[in-house]
Parts: sequence; structure tokens; C-alpha cells
Amino acid sequence: MLKLKRGMGVADARAMHPSVEIVEADPEADRRLLEGLADWCDRYTPLVALDGTDGLFLDITGCSHLFGGEEALVANMLRRFSEQGLEASAAVAATAGTAWAVARFRGNFVVPDGEEAGWLMPLPLAALRLDATICTALDSVGLRTIEAVMTTPRAPLVRRFGKALVLRLDQALGQIDEALSPRMPVPELSAERALAEPVMMVEDIERIILLLATALQEALERRGAGALGLRLFLFRVDGAVTRLSVHLSRPARAPDRMAKLFHERLAALGDSLDTGCGFDLVRLAVESVAPLAAQQVDLGHADRDDDADLALFVDRVCARLGRNAVRRPVPVASHLPERSVAFSSFANAAKIVETALPARAERPMRLLRQPEHVEVVAEVPEGPPLQFRWRRAHYRIARVEGPERISPEWWLESLPPVEKKDGETDPDHEKRRKQAAALKTTRSVRDYFHVEDTDGRRYWLYRQGSYGNADAPPRWFLHGIFA
Amino acid sequence: MATNAVAQKAIFALRREISRIEGTLPERFAEPGSEDAVVLRHNGRPRGEASLLITGVPALDEALGGGISKAALTEIHGQHSRDAGAVTGFTLSLISLLLKQAPSKPVLWIGTSGFFAEAGLPYAHGLSRLFGIMPQGVLFAEAPRPVDALWIAEEAAGLKTLATVVIEISGNPQRLDLTATRRLHRRAAEAGRPVFLLRQSAQAEATAAPLRFAVTPAPAGKRHILGRPLAGSIGPPAFIIALDKNRLAPSARFVLEWNADERTFETRDALRHGRPQDPVALVPLPRHRPDMAAAAGPRMAYGLFRFPPAARQPS
Repeated sequence: MLKLKRGMGVADARAMHPSVEIVEADPEADRRLLEGLADWCDRYTPLVALDGTDGLFLDITGCSHLFGGEEALVANMLRRFSEQGLEASAAVAATAGTAWAVARFRGNFVVPDGEEAGWLMPLPLAALRLDATICTALDSVGLRTIEAVMTTPRAPLVRRFGKALVLRLDQALGQIDEALSPRMPVPELSAERALAEPVMMVEDIERIILLLATALQEALERRGAGALGLRLFLFRVDGAVTRLSVHLSRPARAPDRMAKLFHERLAALGDSLDTGCGFDLVRLAVESVAPLAAQQVDLGHADRDDDADLALFVDRVCARLGRNAVRRPVPVASHLPERSVAFSSFANAAKIVETALPARAERPMRLLRQPEHVEVVAEVPEGPPLQFRWRRAHYRIARVEGPERISPEWWLESLPPVEKKDGETDPDHEKRRKQAAALKTTRSVRDYFHVEDTDGRRYWLYRQGSYGNADAPPRWFLHGIFA
Repeated sequence: MATNAVAQKAIFALRREISRIEGTLPERFAEPGSEDAVVLRHNGRPRGEASLLITGVPALDEALGGGISKAALTEIHGQHSRDAGAVTGFTLSLISLLLKQAPSKPVLWIGTSGFFAEAGLPYAHGLSRLFGIMPQGVLFAEAPRPVDALWIAEEAAGLKTLATVVIEISGNPQRLDLTATRRLHRRAAEAGRPVFLLRQSAQAEATAAPLRFAVTPAPAGKRHILGRPLAGSIGPPAFIIALDKNRLAPSARFVLEWNADERTFETRDALRHGRPQDPVALVPLPRHRPDMAAAAGPRMAYGLFRFPPAARQPS
């Protein structure tokens, strides 16, 4: 044994073992490793919670029979951990507190139901997940084991050491429920396939996805539901887990549809999918569902559901290029050009009630995302522009229509703050705030001009602000392009 | 007589074969009104007026052999990126004509993020005001690279649900070669629905599209108020259309004006000579009502007058 202890100084350690290798602590990397292990533990149960910096809680209720019982599950897990080069200890108990205590202070055991108290009694108080201060305080009055605490009257304990002690004890004994907060939402449904021989080819993965989707189809049909969000878990042999999500714009349960979406998702990943030594477990989980009634198939008509084709196409594009790849413009009640059109995803657009566009004055056919600053020469200060320079090119203006004044939406904006002078009464302050707001509004008033240059290109220019303010001269912007 | 019939059959078979290989333009072989006028079929569908997008300008339709083929890829070029307005405007006018026949189908507009950032997205209010294209009828697909945009276009070109697919690519990316355009053209031909390839600020390259327009902006006409042109005003949008590649006729140039109220093309001459009434409302347009274009019924007689002869009308 090296006889090194936690909290020991580096110099002391060096004095004892001159050849000791010092590695700086990296809590961030430790955390990542723990999260990676938590991902990997998903193969045993979907309910995995992190426990501090060095432990994991797994809720294996109803999962253990899949691995041949609790003992077999623990043995399987510990074997795989040791294959990955990790030393771990695990315990199974009816309560999280007991399992924690047994795993850390006794070793790899399965505590039978109802025997928690017997297992806990000989353990030190630290096994109750208590703060160090409470432990020391209890230690100072001679309470060193859990048994001692359990046999002491409770009321004085609570009064002297706080509720935490009794709470932890009750949680460990199962008298108070302890909720674990799993890292990920529990999927509605999931299907998985453990593979004797790890797969590496994307084609093989896609084939397995199709099998899993077929397995899910029946369960979805029984519920009368269709999948809206799907997630694929690829468990690599060496412990890394890849998660891929796809979203559907309308509920579906056809396996080929799901497989097509994952095909695009995998194609988008391309070489960035690190297959390593292969995946030995593939899981397909349904993250969200929506009701989907069974549809009568008409034998007489071979024509297909066109809308479904379009939805599938949009979903495929979105699976490959990101969820915002396909969007639909939605008119918004605002007279500011850039605010009057919002974009919504294809899936959401179906829910939006369309409002008829009000007839407006001339509007450009393409609107720039951001109005671009242009240098303008105008004949008279408040008059129309004569020539302008945009993107280093010079345009001479032949004809102008306008201006059309568009004011900012002052009713949506809050009053700007104004410094408070000493000895000033409140109404005065409010008045000055309103004046400042009015000034801000006049500064951001836009005068739009529809201009045509000598070559016949038509643009939408605007002047922001007005002449006369020495501190804020007006600025010109190009906002849109006309046909 | 019998030999004549056999010969005719052989000739028709050959014509069909040629039109199949070329993918377009079977009507070139059948002079309208002549004795051996035949209905050629393309992929089992009779090819006729229904498969053509009629521009409504007689001279242009004549040069195009009746109209723009709907089952084909059509390239529309702009020389500079600052001509994006004219290119987009002309394309949207064609789409507006197309949507007159199938108003409920959506339009898919594909572009690269780079070009959308450069020239902006088509603006819903401008689309509805000028071209009668409602926001719910448009879908925008934004791709990070031209390759992805081409992939979306290829996938979308086979969808019959869409009214048309527009793919906007700027510059001359290497992937947009003869093979890529041929794939788009084939898919468009199979779906029987036009695909417009907008080449912004691009040099003309070899393409499989049977038709290539080059669009440059033209100074707009004047606004007509009370039947008279208003000096200094900017009227309806105008474009100079050059037929760069066309198998039927030598390259030609047209100056077209888009009439947003009627949703028709007009030539400058027609505008200059007979404009019976002013299409612009003198009172403010009614709000929360359908677009003006739908309500303008009585003007149809005037529109028919300038349409191609009755023989060419879709039956």
C-alpha cells in the first residue's frame, strides 16, 4: 500500500514516494466521464441519475428480469465496467439510500427487501449521505454508527442536529420516498436490440432501425398514437453512446418512414459518426407521441396522400439539414417591414390560423435580413436621394417615389430610463422620461423611398432620423429589392 | 393508301422516339392546323397546351413553340448578383402564371444560406401584392451549401404535391454541371412540373435544360393615373428577357412588363397603344378582402384579344 490519503499535500506525497506522478485535477473531465458512463448505463434502465461527482443511481425497477435477475445484472454491469478499465462497486436495494450506503461501505451486494435496517446498522454515519459537520457533531456526542442513531430518541436528535439526519435515515429505510431525477425524460416507448456481433456498417444500422421501427409500430397501433419525435441510441462497445434525434411534422407509425428519416440523419453525419469497434446495442425510443387514428385504405383508388408525401419530404430535409431547414412565412400584425413576416417550421405552420394579408402600399419582393447601410447623396437635406453607394458599387438614381413614413412601434417599447436629479419631484421625472421616449421615436422614424437606378434596378431605401439633430445625423439604409 | 398509312405510322413512331429522346418539343413536328397534326404522347400523357406554360405574349410564345414546357427544367440567368431583383421578379411572374391554373399547390423555394444573406428572402408582402402568391403557398428551404440545395431540389423535383420547385444558386459551383442539370430535368419531366433553376451572377455553362433565359432589369414604365402616364413615377416592373438557349428559334430579346393586377405579361408596345382603363384603384384598396386580381373580371375580353389565336387555347 502507498499509504497516501485524500487531502494530503503534494510535498508530503513526494516525500513518501519520490516517483509519484502528479496529475492536476480536472473536475470538468471527470464530470464528462461520469455523464458518458450514465449514457452507457442507459442500456440497463432509462432512469439514470447522477449522484454527486462519483456515483450513479439506476432505477432498475422492472428491468432486472431482462438481464436474468438483479445479481446477474450487477455482475454483467461490473464485468463490463472492468472491461472498460473502470473499477466500480454496485449494490442493489429497495431504497436509493441503502444502495448508496452498501455500495460505498460494504461492497457489491444485493440487499433483500425489508432487510435494509439490518444492513445499515453496523455502517458508520457517513453512509447516510450527511454533511461532514453533522457527522462530526454526532461523533462528538458518541453517536458513531447508524445503529446508535436509530436507537436514540428522535425528538432530541432533530432539535440538536436538524431535520436532515432523520430525513436521510427515513429515506434509507424506505419510510419516506426519495425521488431520483433522471437525466433524460423517459421515452414513451422504446425498442432495442442487443447484438452478439457489433455492427459497424451504416447499412446494417439502418436495417436494425427498420426492425426496431416495425416492433414499435404494433405498440403505437395499440395506443392509437403516432410518433412525433424519435431518438436513436447507439451503444458502442467501448462505452460511448451516440444519440440521434429526428422529428416528424405529423404523427406517423410506418416503419419505412422512420427508417428514411434516420437514413438522412445518418447520411448527414457521414464520417463524423465514429463507429469505433462497432455498436453492440441499438435502441429506438419514441420521445413524443400524438394521437393518430387508423385510416381506411381505399382499394379502388391507388392515389396516395399527397400531403403525407410533402410532410415526409420536409421531415427528411429537416433530418439532414437541421430543424429550421424548411420554413414557411407567417404574416404578423406589425407594420414594420422586418417584423411583419415571421417564419415558422413546417410542422407548426399547420396549426397557425392564417390571416389575410392587408392590402399595403408597394412592398419589395426581396427583403434583406438586416437593412444595409448605404452612403447617399441627396439634393436637399430632407429630399429624395440622388445617388448611393451600396456594397462598394455606385448607383445613380433616375426616378424616385416616396417617401413613405414608417414609425417605430412605440407602444411595444418601454420608456427609456432617465437619470434622476436630486431634489426632483416624481411627476417631473416621468415627464422627462416621456420626452426622452418621444425623442427616441423621432430618431428611429423611417422615410422609405422606392428608387430606380439608371439601369432599371429598383430598390427600397430608407432614411432613419431627420436632419436638425446635430448629435444624431440621419442614416440611410437599403432594405429591399423590387422586381 | 395502305402504304401511305404504314409510312405515316413509321414516321409517327420516329417522331415520338425523337421527342422522347429530346424530352420536349414534339409539337415542332406537327404544324398546327396542318393535315398530319397528331397528338404526341410523353410518358403516356398527351402533350399539348396543358403541358405548356403560356406566357401570354404572342411573340414570346411563338419563339418558345407555344410556351414554356411544364415538364422540364428551365434556367433563368442573371449576370450580376445585383440583378437578383429582375431574375426573381421574372421567375415569380412565371410562377404566378402557373398558379393561376393550380392555385392551391405550394411553391418550394430552395436557396443557399449565403445567397439568402446576400439578397434576402422573397418577402411575403411583396409576393402577395405583386404576384398574388399567398404566404401559406410558399415554403423556403435553406441549405448551407450548393450541394445540399441540389440534393433538396432533386428530392423535391419528384414530388407531385408542389406546384413548382425553384432552386437558387449563385456563382458557378462545380457540382452544378451537365449531369446535375440532367438529373433535375429528368425528374421534372417525370413529375410533369416545372423546375426553375435560378443562376444568380453566373456565367452560362453547358446545361441539360432545354430553355435558358437571361434576364436583365429594364427601366419600369410610368404609372398611369386617369389614363395618362404620371411623370417621374415608377410603374409596373419590367424585364429584358433574352432567350439564350432555345431549340426552336434563334435567340431573341423581349421587353416584358408584369401587370400585377391582371397577373399577365404585357409588352411595351401593347402598353403604349391601347390601355383602355387604369387598373390602379383611385380609392384605397379594401382591406381584409381578396386580392384585387381575382375580382377583375370584365377585363378578360381585352385579355383574350391579345392572347394567341383560338386554335392554341387549351380546350
